[in-house]
Amino acid sequence: MKLSRIASFAAVILTAAGLALAATQWTLQPKESTLTFAATQAGAPFEGKFEKFTADIVFDPQDLAGSRFDVQIDLASVNSRDGERDGIIRSADLFDVKRWPSGSYVADKFSASGGNKFTATGKLTLRDVTREVPIEFTFEHHNGSAWLKGTAAIKRLDFGVGQGEWKDTATVANEVKIRFALLLK
Amino acid sequence: MQIRNDQQRYGAVAQLLHWSIVVLIITQFSLAFKAGGLPLGPAKIAVLAQHKSFGMTIFALAVLRLIWRLVNPVPAMPQTTVRWQRIAAHLSHGALYALILITPLFGWMMSSARNFPVSWFGVFTFPDLVQPDQARYEFFHEMHEILALTLAGIALLHVAAALKHHFFDRDNVLRRMLPLKLKA
Repeated sequence: MKLSRIASFAAVILTAAGLALAATQWTLQPKESTLTFAATQAGAPFEGKFEKFTADIVFDPQDLAGSRFDVQIDLASVNSRDGERDGIIRSADLFDVKRWPSGSYVADKFSASGGNKFTATGKLTLRDVTREVPIEFTFEHHNGSAWLKGTAAIKRLDFGVGQGEWKDTATVANEVKIRFALLLK
Repeated sequence: MQIRNDQQRYGAVAQLLHWSIVVLIITQFSLAFKAGGLPLGPAKIAVLAQHKSFGMTIFALAVLRLIWRLVNPVPAMPQTTVRWQRIAAHLSHGALYALILITPLFGWMMSSARNFPVSWFGVFTFPDLVQPDQARYEFFHEMHEILALTLAGIALLHVAAALKHHFFDRDNVLRRMLPLKLKA
């Protein structure tokens, strides 16, 4: 009997320790959160955003090993403030949303860069291409809510975003910057 | 040739500004028509980028030109010019100055309203003047075209008047805007 009591006590302690160590599961606040990109056409940068995306964020600065990001982006929800351009971005030569309606970013490797700065290494999938993309971000936690803000730089042609005439990078640059600000609760 | 204007003729700076704006405006019309016939794609974006870069160049030259005009004498009209022609000349010159400033400005606002910011030959990007909005874009686009066509119409009258002075009146009105000797 004594042994089983010790065992159950140990189980309780271990469970509690496990809970304390498990990185926090956050819930994205979609209204306040933004996912934007800056592309360059004819030397002039312009911004656009994705209206619909989900982010399954498990993150704790004290438990980077247990942290994980899983972001799913509805590529058809692109909004560059110009309907004609959005139509082209959705078309077969760019995202081809009919064949690949969503993009994703999944990260499970994190490292601290000092202060509230971190780097995530994850896999970005657009169209049928998956590549490793690092993102730099900050994590600010106050009273049960947190802001996760960061940037990434990608080359659109690495993901095949630009077929046919859109392979030309003289007019539409290959480099695209991605910026996000996620409010988590 | 003299650098500054005097009572008789335009100097080198005023002539250079006048004729470079002429060449740029003709280029602008040809680029605009070229872009109008293209579907949205890299080729159209490239043509419009040139159109915007030249347009902002016209805007800058127009500002320089107005400043230069303010600090220089304006050559007098021929003594023989009748009153209605003096009035017409003043009105058309005023309108041309206004249009070479306002037409690019509406082009710039039109670009901002469509979130296609204006770059100057890729060297730098001008700030957006207005927030993107479809209705606003259509308004500025329409205005830009109306202003450009008005500019073309008045410029043609201006050319007709200059040729009339040169070939019928045989005076110095066209000569003084060219690197030519004035008639006595």
